[in-house]
Amino acid sequence: MIKINIDGKKTEVQNGTTILSAAKKLGIDIPTLCHQPTVEAYDACRLCVVDVTDGKKTKMVTSCNYPIRKEIEVDTKSDKVIKTRKTLIEMMLSRWPNVRAIKNLAGEYEVEKPRMKHPKIDYNPNACILCGLCVNACSEIMWEDIIGFAGRGDKRKVVMPFEEHNIACVGCSTCENICPTGAIKMVEDPNSPVDGARIKKYGYNVTKEMAQLDADQCDMRGVGTAHLAEIMDDYDLLPTMNYQYGSHNDTPNISSPVFKKKYFTQGLPDGCYLGCSMACAKTAEGFELKTGPYKGEKVLVDGPEYETVGGCGSNLGIFDPEFILESNFYCDTYGLDTISYATSTAFAMECFEHGILNKERTGGLDLRFGNKEAAMEVLHQMARGEGFGVTIGQGIRRMKKIFAEEYDLTDAQIDFMQDIGMECKGMEYSEYVTKESLAQQGGYGLALKGAQHDEAWLIFMDMVNKQIPTFKDKAEALHYFPMFRTWFGLMGLCKLPWNDVEPIDNAETDEPAKVPAHLEGYVNFFSGMTGKEIDKFELIRQSERVYNFQRVFNYRLGFGTREHDAIPYRSAGPVTIKEYESRSERYDKELEEKWDYDISGKTTEEKRDYLRKMREDAYEKLCDAVYKRRGWDSNGVPTLEKMQELKMDIPEVKKVLAK
Amino acid sequence: MKKKITVNKQEIDWEENMTITRILEVMNYTFKMLVVKVDGKLIKKQDYDRFVVSAHADVKVIHLISGG
Repeated sequence: MIKINIDGKKTEVQNGTTILSAAKKLGIDIPTLCHQPTVEAYDACRLCVVDVTDGKKTKMVTSCNYPIRKEIEVDTKSDKVIKTRKTLIEMMLSRWPNVRAIKNLAGEYEVEKPRMKHPKIDYNPNACILCGLCVNACSEIMWEDIIGFAGRGDKRKVVMPFEEHNIACVGCSTCENICPTGAIKMVEDPNSPVDGARIKKYGYNVTKEMAQLDADQCDMRGVGTAHLAEIMDDYDLLPTMNYQYGSHNDTPNISSPVFKKKYFTQGLPDGCYLGCSMACAKTAEGFELKTGPYKGEKVLVDGPEYETVGGCGSNLGIFDPEFILESNFYCDTYGLDTISYATSTAFAMECFEHGILNKERTGGLDLRFGNKEAAMEVLHQMARGEGFGVTIGQGIRRMKKIFAEEYDLTDAQIDFMQDIGMECKGMEYSEYVTKESLAQQGGYGLALKGAQHDEAWLIFMDMVNKQIPTFKDKAEALHYFPMFRTWFGLMGLCKLPWNDVEPIDNAETDEPAKVPAHLEGYVNFFSGMTGKEIDKFELIRQSERVYNFQRVFNYRLGFGTREHDAIPYRSAGPVTIKEYESRSERYDKELEEKWDYDISGKTTEEKRDYLRKMREDAYEKLCDAVYKRRGWDSNGVPTLEKMQELKMDIPEVKKVLAK
Repeated sequence: MKKKITVNKQEIDWEENMTITRILEVMNYTFKMLVVKVDGKLIKKQDYDRFVVSAHADVKVIHLISGG
């Protein structure tokens, strides 16, 4: 810490703090026209000048970009400083006499009439004062360079290149919002919203939050979703070796600081949603491939996202960032989903380790956990349509059937495959360990399309916060969140700006988990776009209509009932003795405290089996509670009354439900 | 007998001068988007280092939903 003295007030600041920032903390006002905390200081207006005394020497500096490196004395109101500011204000007033911000300063500094006459006097009260905030905001907040300065001297102005409309501009309105004089106005909105201003207001708030808060929250602009790898490991939620465990000593090798330091090369908007300042997708350029048809070539890898790190990394027992990048590249190139490839391969690996598969059955592939050469070869085989890769490429549900039919397996082995095959409705699980969160087991099992967490991610609410202890609480969460998150799909919106950045006062709201300010923003977005006024309840209602219709659709096709919501036991608890013993303290405690089970003298097998009985029973009760909350019957089918209530009792639906 | 505090309904040992930062360390709560309440009172992030929790306090560390 460095001691400083500003206008006689003493304080201590961190090395590098600007004088302006230190003065603000002391309640000392220094005038600015071109300064905003969200963009780098630019010293265009120079109104923030102050006197700095360092030992015997005194000099005048701009306080907005002067970093404090050693003990100094600052005078913000010396005669020289005031005189300089007055001259600057006078010059600005001579050019822009009607701009409110300048007129206010002139009043404050008692500048009545400028002594000079500017050749380019502009009487527009909304004139551009060339502060450069818009140019810097476009570059720093949006990572775009849509606008810039052109011309010199009194010809200097803010323009798009060649003063023509830049088609790269999506009208995010960041420049419009940051402009201190109102010089910038959006004149065209390609989406023709009914009330564009209403939408922009919300959009700008999110942009501002990204600029001010993201680095201290999820760092989505820095590393994207990859930051979750180390977090999930800390909470025992990072799937390791086919979801057997939730953490591993080698996780630091595949954590986000590794990707950020060594591989991520671009800090640019990825273009996935034009005008989005979250820009969370990352890329690794110049990555040299070690295998496959492009071996030896340097390529650009789009990613990795968290799911790829967890799936292709820890869940295969491979803690190698370069394997993750290479598998990410080849999955993208071959048109494969990294989650399905990874989770299917993890299943095959565990089958290999338990003797269900062997080298003869895999065509020579040594599919032990951690064998990256074999895992990569599986990927290439899938794409070439050759070898054992063809089998794994069909996914877990079919693999279970193929292995049971083609190999001479015992009943116990077939049951084991059922327990460890992490799929539901034929879709492979994404990359979270759900054993300790009953609500999240429902989040996967009760999702309409299969084992995906995008309907509900409730692990923290349930397992860590213990906010939803009862079946009724969990059922409410498994009603609200799937409906809310379905709404993003209905509108074609991304859900990440909902809760991967949050307003600074979110913690003080009544329901922080729902991020009320952002929920309100989405309501405004809908109403602003369509002109139809809705509220947060109608928003859920919109989803409910579609969600229930989808469930009826599934039912019509022979799915959409309780049996299809069943989950593999690995999702709910420890399948093997080794798994139980790896967290025996946790499981023993649950047996004794929650289930009143006397563990003394019991073998691990007995304890594991009793725990299983309890947890499987709990999952069924959860289904009961969720079906009831959603207005479905005990088999998980929407009732006609529910469809009537939603005004979705159209003849086709009635016909299906009459079956 | 050791004094205790409750963190998210789980009892842990209380320590002299136990700050919120220390509780997060003991619980290995590394996620950043948190809401911390001690006996119902909201503790702001800037106070995590200096707010000292008394014995038998009821601490809630609410992790806000993330996940893709």
